[in-house]
Amino acid sequence: MPYILIFKTNIEHELDLFQLEDLFKNIPSITNWNVDREDVDKVLRVESLNNKVTEIISSIKNLGYLCEELKD
Amino acid sequence: MRVRDNNKENLVKLKAMEMIINNGINGFSMQKLAKACNISVATLYIYYKNKDDLIFKLGIEQGEKMVKASLKGFSPNLPFNEGLKIQWENRTNFTFKNKLSSNFFEAIQHTIYGEEISKNITAMFSPIMKEFVNNAIKNKQLKFVSIESYWCVAFGPLYTLLNFASKGKSIGNRPFKFSKKIMYETLDYVLIALKP
Repeated sequence: MPYILIFKTNIEHELDLFQLEDLFKNIPSITNWNVDREDVDKVLRVESLNNKVTEIISSIKNLGYLCEELKD
Repeated sequence: MRVRDNNKENLVKLKAMEMIINNGINGFSMQKLAKACNISVATLYIYYKNKDDLIFKLGIEQGEKMVKASLKGFSPNLPFNEGLKIQWENRTNFTFKNKLSSNFFEAIQHTIYGEEISKNITAMFSPIMKEFVNNAIKNKQLKFVSIESYWCVAFGPLYTLLNFASKGKSIGNRPFKFSKKIMYETLDYVLIALKP
C-alpha cells in the first residue's frame, strides 16, 4: 500500500504542472500524482512508497508555490 | 499512514449520489461532499483523485451492481419467453430496491460521465444479451427485426411502466401503482408481438 499524501497548494495553470512533472520524476518513490485544479484548495495528491511529506513541501515551496499538508 | 475506512467510504458514496441527484453534477464539488460527510477534504482525496474520478468510479460500481442484478438466474441459453420474463423481473426488482442507484443513473445520464459509464456497462452486458437474442432467433422463438425495434418492443413497455411507477401517475395523470399483475399482463403483449 503506498502512502497517500494530500496537500493544499496554489498550483493553478497547466504550465505549473510541467514544473511539478520535472520535480516528481526525480523522486523515484513517487508512483503517482495529480493536482485537482478545479478544487478551491488546488489539491495535490501524491502516492509514494515512503513518507515524503517534508521533502515534497520544501521542494514545491522552492518552486515558488504554496504547499501545506491537508490533515485528516 | 492513512488507512481506508470502509464505513467512511460507503458514507461518501451514498452522500455523493444524494447530492448529485438533488443538485446536479454542476453544483457538486469535493469540498461540499466532504462537508456533507463531516470529514476532511484530505480524507476524501485518499479515496479519489478528483471529482471526475469519484463520479466515474461510482457510476461503474453502481453499473456493475445493476448488471449483476439483471443477470441473476439468467442464461443466454434460456428459452426466449422465460429469459425475457427473468430480465423484466430482475430489472424491476433492481429499480425498486435500488432507488438511489436508479436516480443517480438518471441524473448523470446526459453528462460526459454518463456516456463513458454507459459504454462500460454496455461492454459488460451486451455480449450476453446478444447471445440470448441470437439463440432465440436461431431457435425460431423470436422475430428477426432490427436491434432498435427489438429493444423498443422488448423493454420499452417495461420502462414506461417503471416510469409511471416512479411518478405515481400514468397517462392523463391517472394515479398509478405498480403491480406484478400489470407487469405480467404487459409482458404477455410483448411476447405476442415478438413471436415469429
